[in-house]
Amino acid sequence: MTYEQILLSAIFVPITGAFLVPLAGRVSRFLRNGLSLVLILFSFSCSLVLLPHVFSGQPVFFSYVLPLGLDFVFVADKLAVFMSLVSTLISSVIIFYSFGYISHYENQNEYYCMVVLFLGAMVGLVFSANLIFLYLFWEITAVTSWRLIGFFRERKQVLKADKAFLVTVFGALLMLLGFVQIYQQTGTFVLTHAALPNVAVVLILCGILSKSATLPFHTWLPDAGVAPSPVTALLHAAILVKIGVYVYARLFISSYSIDVFWQTAVPVIAAASALVSAGAALVETDLKRLIAYSTVSQIGFIFFGLAIGNEMALVGGLLYILMHGLAKAGLFLCAGIVEQNAKTKNITELGGLMTTMPKTAISFLLCAFSVMGIPPFGGFFSKYMVFSGAIEAGQVWISLVFLIGAFMTILYLFRVFNMVFLGESKGHEAKEQDSSMVFSVVLLAILSLVGGILIAFPSMLAHDTAVQMLAKVIP
Amino acid sequence: MIEQIILLPIVLPLVAGFYYLLVPKKFHAVTGIMAFLITFANLLVTVVLFDKKFSFTLPWVGIGLDFSLRLYHFSSFIILAVSLFGFLITLYSLVFIRGKFGVKYFFAYFLLTLGLANGAVLADNLMVMLFFWEALLVTLFGFIAIGNKGAFKTAAKAFIIIGISDLCMMIGIVLTGRLAGTLTMSEINLPLTGLSSLAFVLLMIGAISKGGSMPFHSWIPDAATDAPLPFMALVPGALEKLLGIYFLTRISLDMFQLKEHSPLSTAMMTIGALTIILAVMMALIQKDYKRLLSYHAISQVGYMVLGIGTAVPAGIVGGLFHMINNALYKSGLFLTGGSVEKQTGTTNLEELGGLAKKMPITFCCFLITALSISGVWPFNGFFSKELVYDGALERGWIFYFVAVLGSFFTAASFLKLGHAAFLGKLNEKYKAVKEVAFPMWFPTATIAGLCILFGVWNAFPLKRFIEPILGAERLEGKSFAGFPTNMTLVVITFVVLIAAVLNHLYGVKSKGSGLKAVDHIHYAPVLSEIYDRAQKRYLDPYEWGMGFMRFVSRIAFWFDRAIDWIYEDLAVRTTAVFTNGIKKLHNGNFSTYLSWSLVGFLLVAILLLRPF
Repeated sequence: MTYEQILLSAIFVPITGAFLVPLAGRVSRFLRNGLSLVLILFSFSCSLVLLPHVFSGQPVFFSYVLPLGLDFVFVADKLAVFMSLVSTLISSVIIFYSFGYISHYENQNEYYCMVVLFLGAMVGLVFSANLIFLYLFWEITAVTSWRLIGFFRERKQVLKADKAFLVTVFGALLMLLGFVQIYQQTGTFVLTHAALPNVAVVLILCGILSKSATLPFHTWLPDAGVAPSPVTALLHAAILVKIGVYVYARLFISSYSIDVFWQTAVPVIAAASALVSAGAALVETDLKRLIAYSTVSQIGFIFFGLAIGNEMALVGGLLYILMHGLAKAGLFLCAGIVEQNAKTKNITELGGLMTTMPKTAISFLLCAFSVMGIPPFGGFFSKYMVFSGAIEAGQVWISLVFLIGAFMTILYLFRVFNMVFLGESKGHEAKEQDSSMVFSVVLLAILSLVGGILIAFPSMLAHDTAVQMLAKVIP
Repeated sequence: MIEQIILLPIVLPLVAGFYYLLVPKKFHAVTGIMAFLITFANLLVTVVLFDKKFSFTLPWVGIGLDFSLRLYHFSSFIILAVSLFGFLITLYSLVFIRGKFGVKYFFAYFLLTLGLANGAVLADNLMVMLFFWEALLVTLFGFIAIGNKGAFKTAAKAFIIIGISDLCMMIGIVLTGRLAGTLTMSEINLPLTGLSSLAFVLLMIGAISKGGSMPFHSWIPDAATDAPLPFMALVPGALEKLLGIYFLTRISLDMFQLKEHSPLSTAMMTIGALTIILAVMMALIQKDYKRLLSYHAISQVGYMVLGIGTAVPAGIVGGLFHMINNALYKSGLFLTGGSVEKQTGTTNLEELGGLAKKMPITFCCFLITALSISGVWPFNGFFSKELVYDGALERGWIFYFVAVLGSFFTAASFLKLGHAAFLGKLNEKYKAVKEVAFPMWFPTATIAGLCILFGVWNAFPLKRFIEPILGAERLEGKSFAGFPTNMTLVVITFVVLIAAVLNHLYGVKSKGSGLKAVDHIHYAPVLSEIYDRAQKRYLDPYEWGMGFMRFVSRIAFWFDRAIDWIYEDLAVRTTAVFTNGIKKLHNGNFSTYLSWSLVGFLLVAILLLRPF
């Protein structure tokens, strides 16, 4: 296979395969589950195959010329491959976890179909080098996540799913207007180098912030905690919310150039978002909402790093995407184990689970350490680099605001750990029943640790990527 | 000599620690013995490395962040001390820990702590230092958490306090890196102006919080009751002082130009003085052996911060000498506390008493270390305190006064402690108590012996270890070894110590027991009110901080709810009003539709007919 074919199959095999999943489900559970995992692992291995080639400095292009600037263009550069690797790696673990978690519920065929479709669209989005196709994949992820959040089909869930859909699609439509403005200026939807007018930047930012759940478009994310836990892990932690961040990096750093003003404005928005949501996380008592607020807060750090835009901050931002994805997915999946076994998400009713579910507790703690940024976990390096880059760029005061955000991260994660796993049990006994679920969280905790100890490899990838982005070599 | 040997003090304990954590229990039947051998090997390596000089660099994160280590006089001295304490306390723990909580985890955290501490000291790149320094948080947490049942809460408290100050340090480090243009510690030398003062303060927060100075102290007394005792002797007793003061010295001597009479120097001295007096006042009224010692662990760090903060040679030498002296007698004192706990099962002073005859060696060790901490001639504490006094007096009589007052209360509280635990009447329950086994008294006695040695022959530690840290240039050719030169100060010290003894005798006479010897201070007017509040934790800065954060988070939460209201309520209602309006227009009535058509037609007509 040529690299172009590998690139295309990384996207379209999961997308077409997704529709075979329900058919497989009619034959047997195992076939369906296996097929879903294989589809995602296939995409993962495609990215893995692309990795050495792309990182040796040869990006892979696929383009098919169409009229009206609608050229069908895919590019696998370092940024795209990095991002697709992160997404597919984490979703493979999550889907493995789903085997245990989702087996108790109805509509499993739909679930697996949607998850695989979501991931295919995500990979498509990552490799797209045409704004319209990027938008298309963007909306596919919106529709699938709408279905997945409303998985339990009760009125409450459906309403929250609608909310998530409406907010993100509202943002996406504004973003589309911004794309149209880019088209008017450049005459093509294919990514090029051009200076963008501020109006277009504002419109596109609305889309990005709503997808990445940043203030003031963030409240759909905690509400979406009504979804099944693997879905929240997939959407909230690891992948969906990173779309906005990725598109920011793709459009505003590696392609178009924007006003210097945004290097201050975006960190200010991100800082406000990080603080408000961290504060909310300190008050919240619903386990999954709390972790969702934590995600909102951490996304602020990622935006901070990317918006600062110097080499160190970019490396930090990219590593943050990886490390936060791993650790936060672990936290959500631990929350899922707790929720499913203890039959409650209210942390004031939980307690003392350390003794009955030690593996989950330790994994939760390790992932929490990574999110807090404690060495030797991976989160330490990403946090350090973001701060380092910011200070290098002279943003001392905003860094101090983020420092408070980092304090609060320690506080709320310890608060939730204390309330759920320590102290006296309050009547909700729980055991670790399903080994595939426990295995997944342990794996994520170990990956967070290994990511820190063997930091040289991810940091080398992130560094190469940042250099390529700053040089604006691609598209 | 191969340079890789510098990695041994880091890698050896770390690998062994991970081994304990990961390998199932049945594979380490000889847990303790192996840990003992490893700490012994570690000690040998650091002895070999002492006073050697070289740098060593490995590629690490990339992006200019290399794993660079530097061995020179100061760092080799600190790792030597760290390894010595590691070795002695492992020996002690062999017996102490037997039959208790997770032995496997205890030794795992023990070894990891040693390796990380060595790494933090050897690091020559600030980022590398931060990596080891902050990683100590994890082992600190684990170490406390394996204590008794409520220990997790204390572990979390310790983690939060130190974690927050470590984050400050992270910002301080990147700021320093930007200002200096390098992260290599040995190449940084910044004047203290504007932003670099901010960087200095942030780094100082990290350093003094590691040392356990106020206002970052309040987890230590809690840990004293909850954590396993060897932890107290090792970490707050010795290692944290060594690390915190090591780094404080590095930043104020090498990396920044801290001048005497600068505001930052005065600020440091103020923190030191407040820490001395406030912590010792709390120590005075404690009724638990270990808790009393833990407040002294806080109070003593005040002398070091005060000494280094003076930025004059006598003060700095005194502060550093006090660091090593304190590490000795404080861990020694904790070990005597552990011996008492091991043999009697309690550290509650109300139940103890008269143990001197039953445990003579422990008593002797206690006596020596207590005399050292009280600053009695000729023990080591006397000499270092005199140097600190000397430095403090150069900078202002008020600092000197507070330091001496601190000594008065220190002596008073140790008279109380010794009297309550070892003298007086023996509790019936403890008739059968025996002296501890050799592996427990030997380390304690060794430490006590060093306390005498460092006092009587103070030229040895001062000339061999401490003074080279400052260098001949800064010392202006002077040496501080031998008997103090300022006789007035010595006389005052003696007077104060005698006053403390008289105070004790007065207390014993009026209340009739050693334990209540300081009740006349405890229940003095005004003081008793303050003590009351302090005991209820109203004066704990940690509680204040948490209260403040709760307040802030409430506000953030309401703000968040207000935004959500826009989506949940405002948007829904606005849409409803709009759609209801439209709905009313579609009422199925022919005349309504006709009139709308008419209006529409008119509008189109006007539009088409309007003049261009």
